[in-house]
Amino acid sequence: MRWRHLDKSVFLWLLLVAALLVLVINPLARLVWSSFQDGATGAVTLDNYLAAYGRWRYLEALVNSLVLGLAVAAVCVVFGVPMAWAVSRTDMPGKGLVWAAILGTFIMPSYLGAVAWILLAGPNAGWLNRVYMGLTGAAAGPFNIYTMAGLVLVIACYSFPYMFVFTRSALDLISSEMEDAATTLGAGVLRTTLRVTLPLTLPAMMAAFIVAFLEAIALFGVPALIALPGRIQLMTTTLWQFFEFPPRVQVAAAYAMPLLSITALLFWLQQRLIARKGYVALTGKGGERRVVRLGAWRWVMLGYCLFITSLSFFLPMVVVLQAAFAKAWGRGFSLDNLTLANLRFVIVDQPITRAATVHTFVYGGVSAALALGLALAIAYIVHRRLVPFGRALSYVAMAPFVIPGIVLAIGFYAAYTSPPLALYGTAWILILAFTTRFLPIAYANSNAAIRAINPELEDAVRILGGGRLLALRRVVGPLLKRGLAGAFLLVFIPATRELSSAIFLYTTGTQVLSVLLFDKSDEGNFEYLSAIGLILVLGTVTLVLAGLRLVGRDFMLTRTTTT
Amino acid sequence: METSRALIPWTVLALLLACAAPAAAFEGEQALYEAARKEKELTWYTAHYNSESAAAVCNGFEKKYPGIKCNYIRTTAQVAYQRLAQDQKAGLAVASVFSSTDVSHYGRMKQDGWLQPYRPKNLSELIDAFKSFNDHQDMYVATAAGLVLLTYNTSLVEAKDAPKKWTDLLDPKWKGKVSIGHPGFSGYVGTWVVQMRKLYGWDYFKKLELNKPRIGRSINDTVTMLNAKESWVAAGPSATTLESKDKGNPLAVVYPEDGAVLMVSPTGILKNAPAPNAARLFEEYLLSRECNEIMVKMRQDSVHKAVKPLPGARSLAEVKTIRPSYDEVERGIPEVKELFRDTFGI
Repeated sequence: MRWRHLDKSVFLWLLLVAALLVLVINPLARLVWSSFQDGATGAVTLDNYLAAYGRWRYLEALVNSLVLGLAVAAVCVVFGVPMAWAVSRTDMPGKGLVWAAILGTFIMPSYLGAVAWILLAGPNAGWLNRVYMGLTGAAAGPFNIYTMAGLVLVIACYSFPYMFVFTRSALDLISSEMEDAATTLGAGVLRTTLRVTLPLTLPAMMAAFIVAFLEAIALFGVPALIALPGRIQLMTTTLWQFFEFPPRVQVAAAYAMPLLSITALLFWLQQRLIARKGYVALTGKGGERRVVRLGAWRWVMLGYCLFITSLSFFLPMVVVLQAAFAKAWGRGFSLDNLTLANLRFVIVDQPITRAATVHTFVYGGVSAALALGLALAIAYIVHRRLVPFGRALSYVAMAPFVIPGIVLAIGFYAAYTSPPLALYGTAWILILAFTTRFLPIAYANSNAAIRAINPELEDAVRILGGGRLLALRRVVGPLLKRGLAGAFLLVFIPATRELSSAIFLYTTGTQVLSVLLFDKSDEGNFEYLSAIGLILVLGTVTLVLAGLRLVGRDFMLTRTTTT
Repeated sequence: METSRALIPWTVLALLLACAAPAAAFEGEQALYEAARKEKELTWYTAHYNSESAAAVCNGFEKKYPGIKCNYIRTTAQVAYQRLAQDQKAGLAVASVFSSTDVSHYGRMKQDGWLQPYRPKNLSELIDAFKSFNDHQDMYVATAAGLVLLTYNTSLVEAKDAPKKWTDLLDPKWKGKVSIGHPGFSGYVGTWVVQMRKLYGWDYFKKLELNKPRIGRSINDTVTMLNAKESWVAAGPSATTLESKDKGNPLAVVYPEDGAVLMVSPTGILKNAPAPNAARLFEEYLLSRECNEIMVKMRQDSVHKAVKPLPGARSLAEVKTIRPSYDEVERGIPEVKELFRDTFGI
């Protein structure tokens, strides 16, 4: 190939691929390497793997975690998909409220939700149990949060927003033509939805399934609060043992390694399942989307949405509000127990909260922008086969998610404390860590978005003599813009509540709210914990709404101007 | 408010010190302060106290010694050690002072040569019983103390029915109502478990398991469990429980007849401290009267002879305390973690 005929954009692709390798491969490779290193001497050894898998207890924990992950992802489908369909395609009332509640759910850190759920469904004194006992006169309530089912419920409550957002953006792209075809052939609404509409969203649903599964098995906060008292061994609580004194980070790294292969397996399955069918929904041929009229069923649908969001948002928020405004939360509800002192303390008397609030949102915003930009580019490169070994790149982009943050932090630390990237003590180590950590979410979302765009649109530009970059700027960019705000939020919000990697990487001057929050959670100080949690939730909601207004979208992520 | 008023004389004194050098709180204070001020700031990795108390200590220090900035990074003990270990491995000098609640950290740090010796002049103010916990080579010195006590929710349990000694937790009437922490997560709980084993043998925990205790992470989780009424009685910490009680939560503590378990937590200065003089000055401050007065207001226990606790708590000098030796803790905690996991299955 001669230089003159070479598409110059190839250098841009290579540059982006290089960025991906630096951000992901560098810390991960150091982690893999350390799993083969002797802690004291640095010699190459397999002892770490023997130590990590030499006990039945450790293996059992791994099995429990896999069961947990699958159960959580399955519950997320049950929670998220009907809601996404209702909000996207039907005339259900109260869509704004439902969307706001889901946004609130997504913002609430899961360990804050877990504390709230302990108060709601604790077997001895949970509010729900007390209400049940009061109504029925029974001696004990039916709810027990300290079980596998309770654990699945709480984690699913804070993961289903992924399912909702992914599925919804896919549904928004499917035109009614295909549904009309089914209707013409005599299928009813239900049959059309189940056999035509939802199957078309399968790639998006599977992406969300994988994200929910991976998040569930890599979570530490909620298991520490619920699985431990419930006597359920999980991978992350077991992992903690390797950090106990004397810390054996090499064993921890070894213990986390098989997760990489599980992720690879999941992707392979996903590819197998969707490879044979076409899921290109967004073509150049227009198409319109009409709402499905549900009749009386629309109230049933709203009831379902409000029920799920009560579990995930409204009920836990009542608990958080009670504690944040209580002098002593153990005294329960009463007027003389009300105070603003907790909020005043965390905002006024502790200047660190204000600094941490600013850091949280700045780091989250920058990370989200970086991750999204990179993810879109990589997804595009992979789908248009612009470089060889594209498939491998998508594995690389998804890999960081599966390594628990606490282990990943070791890799970040190793990667960013020595030249050429000596970033320790600066905000950049946190920003790059968040970017890497949430790249998979950005990627899963970008992947689904790019997949839905038919290449023929760009081919039209190229046939007319435009270059690849022109096609990107004038065709792909405008088509993606629709989902961009949502995709940004999907990274921004988890970044604002990211804890496990932040806890080892922050220094004085770079604290973030999640670290403050977690500190309070093991100090038994639930009043301050709730007050900070409230600031985090309200601050994020305000920012998100203001941001959406700025980019010209309303609550529902649709354009405020009619199309 | 009271805290800041109490600090006014010290602020004045500090100002005077800066101009005229009057009588110092300890010998050589002025020279040390001068040297420390050139270093401008120090960083303190601490697992002692909660973050509010750590902030109050840093504030007090900055007011007493203007011109030196005090940065604290408050985490749990294992996280603090892990951070320090990462720093040391990467050759980074970040922290100058290190305060952990896990005493086994100090043996290892000493062995690895991470600490530098310093004998504080204020050592004479330390409660005599704690002096035996200091390192013979002055690598670390006890600066914080706390107790593991019997605690309960007063809206569920009357004072007369509350457990009086550790073995009362084994009473079947508390089945499903006892809250404890996990020795794998908390140094306080680890020390408590080692001490219970020393007193009553491992049988104590086999019997406790019959009562199906609710196991949290940190010892402070027991405070949450009691406040939530999920548990009625607990083996809990003195400071956090009393602080929560001060806010009006229905909690109370019992000093067990068979002895409150004493936790002594040392502080050491790092060999690669970027601010060694400020670190020494800070260690002096931790042992000083004014620092301990701040501490007791936050419901932490005083290690200073002359500083008495607020009402509702008893002075460490008056309470019957029990505690395993450093050696027993260092050897015992890894053993009891395993036994604990076998007995309780978590």
